[in-house]
Amino acid sequence: MNAVSALAARSWANLRNEVLVLPSRIAVLVWALALLLLPLVWGDAYVMRVITMAAIFAIFAASWDLLAGYSGQVSFGHAIFFGVGAYTSALLSKHFDLSPWLTMPIGAAAAVLCGMLVGLLCLRMRGSYLSLATMSFPLILLGLLFALPELSGGELGISGVRRAVVSPVSNYYLAVVVMLASVFGIWKIGDSKFGLILHAIREDEVACRASGINTPRYKVLAFLLSASFAGIAGALFAHFMRLAGPSTLELALSFQVVIWCVFGGMATVYGPVLAVFILYPLTDFLGGFDLFRDVRLLVFAVIVLLVLLFMPRGLGPWLRDRAERVCPRCKSRNVFTRKQCRLCEAELR
Amino acid sequence: MKRGSLKLLGGLLALAFASACAAQNIKIAILGPMAFLQGENHWAGAEMARDEINKAGGIQVGGAKRQVELVKIDTNEILSVPDATNAIERAITRDKADVLIGGFRSEAVLAMQEVAMDNKKLFLGVGAAHSKLGVNVKENFERYKYWFRVAPTKDTDLARTVFAVLNTISEQMRRDLGKPEPKVAIVAEKAVWVEALLKAAQDTLPKMKMSVVGVWQPSATANDVTAELSAIKRAGADIVFTIVSGPMGIVLGRQMGELQLPAVAFGINVEAQKDGFWAATASKGNYVSTLDTYSEIEITPKTVPFVKAFKERFKRAPAYTAASYDAIMLYKDTVEKAGTIESDKLVPVIEKAAHTGTASVLTFDANHDPVFGPGKVTGIAVQWQNGEKVPFWPNNWNGVTYKGVRPIILPKL
Repeated sequence: MNAVSALAARSWANLRNEVLVLPSRIAVLVWALALLLLPLVWGDAYVMRVITMAAIFAIFAASWDLLAGYSGQVSFGHAIFFGVGAYTSALLSKHFDLSPWLTMPIGAAAAVLCGMLVGLLCLRMRGSYLSLATMSFPLILLGLLFALPELSGGELGISGVRRAVVSPVSNYYLAVVVMLASVFGIWKIGDSKFGLILHAIREDEVACRASGINTPRYKVLAFLLSASFAGIAGALFAHFMRLAGPSTLELALSFQVVIWCVFGGMATVYGPVLAVFILYPLTDFLGGFDLFRDVRLLVFAVIVLLVLLFMPRGLGPWLRDRAERVCPRCKSRNVFTRKQCRLCEAELR
Repeated sequence: MKRGSLKLLGGLLALAFASACAAQNIKIAILGPMAFLQGENHWAGAEMARDEINKAGGIQVGGAKRQVELVKIDTNEILSVPDATNAIERAITRDKADVLIGGFRSEAVLAMQEVAMDNKKLFLGVGAAHSKLGVNVKENFERYKYWFRVAPTKDTDLARTVFAVLNTISEQMRRDLGKPEPKVAIVAEKAVWVEALLKAAQDTLPKMKMSVVGVWQPSATANDVTAELSAIKRAGADIVFTIVSGPMGIVLGRQMGELQLPAVAFGINVEAQKDGFWAATASKGNYVSTLDTYSEIEITPKTVPFVKAFKERFKRAPAYTAASYDAIMLYKDTVEKAGTIESDKLVPVIEKAAHTGTASVLTFDANHDPVFGPGKVTGIAVQWQNGEKVPFWPNNWNGVTYKGVRPIILPKL
């Protein structure tokens, strides 16, 4: 009993001192709670479907941010990991009748292997050369899938994949819980020593190597981790849609994830997630109105361009900078209303 | 104050009356890529059906007549499969559609089919040709029984139509030109969808006493195919069998005319189905022929009036997705027969239906696919002759000749 109350007291203290002191953290907490409570107060099947899809794409976007935002390896073919996760999971489910609870981790593992292959092959490339090289991988895989239509279902893909859970509410919770866990995991990775090294590699790889850091190992590891999360997203997608088709490998999907991340703010994790949860439902809801139906892509493009014009670092960091100030001395963040730093009491300008 | 209250009460009553009337309407969701030609035709065909039905008082459901209300659902399926599933979910759960009609891209329609079946909602497919959609019904009838394909005919039947027309052309060549074994050059765009048909052609044509002189696969967006056509000319081809959906179809027609290639082009050429083909080829696309769905010929007694009315209203000929008209009319007949709009009760009625539509007489097989054959669904073939798209097939095919077909013209070989 004492242990429980001690744990509760420690949790409350952490919540009060670490979360409730910053608007950005409060916003994340409210958002997560809102997502978890939404089906209890608003069980609209359409809204749940859109948010389920947004949750899946949020994992995908955050995984790209880990690779491109943190380590600076900008991939234009990130859909390959999503597609490998989706196809592997769907193939195993369809041909071997394995449980989705087994096929989804295997799908993610296959994406990890694919990430290792891509990472190793692209190890010596940087900048635009790396981006263009990565773009070719989903196209190669598409070619392979089309060459083996008996196995892959050809241009139609694999349909009738088993659902992990049946009801829309269960699917919603599955996607949202996996998304929250994955995004938290990616954020922890980005905030760790490993993430710091990735930041350093992105800023100056030569200096990192001169400091004794095995940069190739970290770069490949970034590919592996990023691919694993993208693979999870792909596997979730296949079991939710009951379909893994060529659309999971399309270039449009690879570019979509870049747009989400640039819009939300790179190397932040929360930025891409915020972008997906704004842009994906917005464009879908606009499609439901006669006035916007034909121009929704134009509206989407205008919003993205305006954000990039006025918020070059992305929407997430822009909002955060308005709500919080960075202490000039200890670099910790404070709510914008404070005059003194909450940690070192330095004056905030 | 009193007058104001009366006005308010009157307004509320009017609003309540309008809501009650709207609640009585039958909501039909028209699903399609509305920014593309296919979606536009889905919607245009549906508008024609709606206006016709509502003008006649509506659909008789039990003892009451109910008006048709269309709900336009942009699936955006050509660009995004998830968008399509969200759209159909919205149609079912938000817009409360009573029936779903449309769809185009097979991969997206498969995903949409799942959502519709989850909700046990009747889904009349107009646009996707892949046989898998019907196979699902056979493999798991209880789940997929709400799916029916109205148009087009499924992909395997499409191939049967192509070979039937090719056979007619080759017979005419044997008879009129004394060529016992016409030579066929296959031009298929570089794309995945052509592969099954390409393989079938290579296997089947020799059995039909036609020799294949070669296969050429330019890009679907190629803007010059003179190299391919020169090679085809040297190979002495009598027939250019086209499997083309992209803009290369225009280039092929124009350059065949420029090179005065002594061969007739037939097959699938989506661009040649469009009204603007002749102008796009700078009047050089003579003799180019293709499969099509609508023309001013009597496929059924309803075809010519429908095509004429469509042209008059929309200033263009209907494309195959305008068969949403047939789907709505089939739905109307079914509901009136069953006396209900409940999907479960409509399924057995549609299974037994023999609906005379504008493009075919619709009957359904065990897969809920339209039955192909004489007197049922056949499709038609058209040829460009001096700026006019002339229907030439079926002409005495298994006893079927549609009133209004004219002979195909073979270029001077």
